[in-house]
Amino acid sequence: MTTPTTFWRLAGVSYVQYVTKATSCLRAALKEPAKSKAMTQETFSYNKSVWSNGEQGAKKLTDSLAAVGK
Amino acid sequence: ANVSTPTAKRITTMFAQLARRAVRPAATAAARRQFADAAPAAGLMKLNFNLPQETLYDAVNVKSVVVPGATGEYEVTADHVPIVAEMKAGMLTINHEDGEEEKYFVAGGFSLTHEGSTTDIVCPEAVKLDDIDAAAVTKNFEAAKAKAASAEAGSIEAAEAMIEVETNKAMGNALGLAMA
Repeated sequence: MTTPTTFWRLAGVSYVQYVTKATSCLRAALKEPAKSKAMTQETFSYNKSVWSNGEQGAKKLTDSLAAVGK
Repeated sequence: ANVSTPTAKRITTMFAQLARRAVRPAATAAARRQFADAAPAAGLMKLNFNLPQETLYDAVNVKSVVVPGATGEYEVTADHVPIVAEMKAGMLTINHEDGEEEKYFVAGGFSLTHEGSTTDIVCPEAVKLDDIDAAAVTKNFEAAKAKAASAEAGSIEAAEAMIEVETNKAMGNALGLAMA
């Protein structure tokens, strides 16, 4: 691997994370109605399910990824 | 031909198969040629401009595109040498066939120029300057600068704050504001 030269790569941020963050900044600075339309692209949610004996348990909506492992 | 006898039938079938095998490559070659994209009109280049959520331009002939490359801004015209570039946050200008100039602010993404005057531009978001709120840009820029100053050097928070600073600065510059 070549030596990383961008500040974000050096801090451990991947390109996808970098461009997603820049896009969020752009969307946050828009005027209505463009802003509401753009913000629909940002919404996401996570489902959590526990596997046991090769079977997937029921999926439950989770607030954040950080809470999933607990 | 009399194909009633088994030998004659075998020979006729062999000939038919050979003939078919000879024709097939030519037929598939012709079919393959039909799948080739039509070349853009002389002096024009073909533009494909796509966002994940929407297609802005699909195989449209334009005069040129000015791309905000990460290592420098450049203009792509017909017969441009193939080039792949990462785009930085900045203004992308499309010069249409009829002379009209259309500008988009892009947050990042890639521009790929291929052999045969076709350019693919892909980015997560592209907006018109009219849709950007100058007051919000200035406010977010100041907030991001404060965050970057207070964050631990080299941390992810500092990097994210720097990304915000850069993007808001680019938006401010595009709007003609003085961003320091």
